[in-house]
Amino acid sequence: MKKLHLSGILFFLLVFLSQSAFAAVREWEVDTPHGNIYFSVDHIYAKIQGHFNQFTTKVQFDPANLQESRFLFEIKVDSIDTNNSKRDKHLLSADFFDAGKYPLITFESKTITNVGNGVFALAGKLNIKGKVYDLTLPLTLAGIKDHPAVQGKQVVGFNGKITVDRLALGVGDEKFYKMGMVGKDVEVFVSLEALSSK
Amino acid sequence: MFPHKAYKILIIFSFAVFLGGALTVPFYYETQTLWYKTGVDKVVLWAGQLAGLLTLVLLVLQIILPLKGRFSEDLFGSANLMRWHRINGILIVCTAISHVVLVLAPEGINNLPIGKKYWPEMTGEGLFLLVLIMVLSSRFRSVLKLDYTVWRTIHRPLGYLLLILALIHVLFVSESFKQGIPRVVLLVIFTGLALLITVVKTIFWRSKS
Repeated sequence: MKKLHLSGILFFLLVFLSQSAFAAVREWEVDTPHGNIYFSVDHIYAKIQGHFNQFTTKVQFDPANLQESRFLFEIKVDSIDTNNSKRDKHLLSADFFDAGKYPLITFESKTITNVGNGVFALAGKLNIKGKVYDLTLPLTLAGIKDHPAVQGKQVVGFNGKITVDRLALGVGDEKFYKMGMVGKDVEVFVSLEALSSK
Repeated sequence: MFPHKAYKILIIFSFAVFLGGALTVPFYYETQTLWYKTGVDKVVLWAGQLAGLLTLVLLVLQIILPLKGRFSEDLFGSANLMRWHRINGILIVCTAISHVVLVLAPEGINNLPIGKKYWPEMTGEGLFLLVLIMVLSSRFRSVLKLDYTVWRTIHRPLGYLLLILALIHVLFVSESFKQGIPRVVLLVIFTGLALLITVVKTIFWRSKS
């Protein structure tokens, strides 16, 4: 009986402490209509811009507890939109993203480092076309404040930019790059807002 | 007046010019999609575009053949016109299937144009289904036990709908027809066809009443 009583207390403490640990890292609900993942790539002389219409982001962020903070991005590849349906369809083909085989791009942060000036370096794993790459995404914390339109909530904002070599990530082969049609360096811009209860 | 033979030659020659002109479009008015295709993919897409244009020309012919105006009946005979109409229907199915397969193949069967933003392609998909339904229901009308009067009442308006869908599909799916000579010629031909149908039908209904 005494053993059972002790086990119960230990179990209760375990659950309570683990909840406290989770509660220590603030969960933010991403405000999807006010988030963007867009990109820009060279085409001969011009720049072609596009974005992904459908993605989910999980944010656990506390600037005072970066060790347990996490970001997870999941992008639906077939939501790509460059304002040209034929180009979008070509991008989804095996020539580029091969969306039929690889419908998702994910990025999960493993460590977050405060590099100063409000910039946080998210070092993590990028999973694209079935392969995993190390990637560090720098995100600038735009701020945390009371939401101007939603009572009882705070809003956090992040903006980031990274240039990736699409050939190194397997998005297309050298064919169009050698032709001088499509560049290999793609600028990716991430911009998001997320809400959390005060 | 010219002898019948001269009119026949003129009509066949005009059709040949129309067909020949249509088949040059992918080469003289190349779409940007072809910029990104090389080797076999490029040849396959060209073939797909040619199959599509051949389908379009045959569709126009398919509408003209059963109009059975007195002029064409005198020249070719009603029975011949209807026989060619039936054969042409089967040819249209073959060229349409070729068009669909060859155009979709270079970008993979996993990458089909389905969705709101692909509405011109989806108009083509609807058109393709309609062609299949029309030809199969005509070919196997007795096996399907379709009443002739009911079948005919549906068949004719569906044929005209098919032509409208074909026009919309071609005008909006292909960059070749976005502007310039191909667009103008296409619109002139379809307007002319609409007028021809109106005139022939008006004369027919007047003679009946």
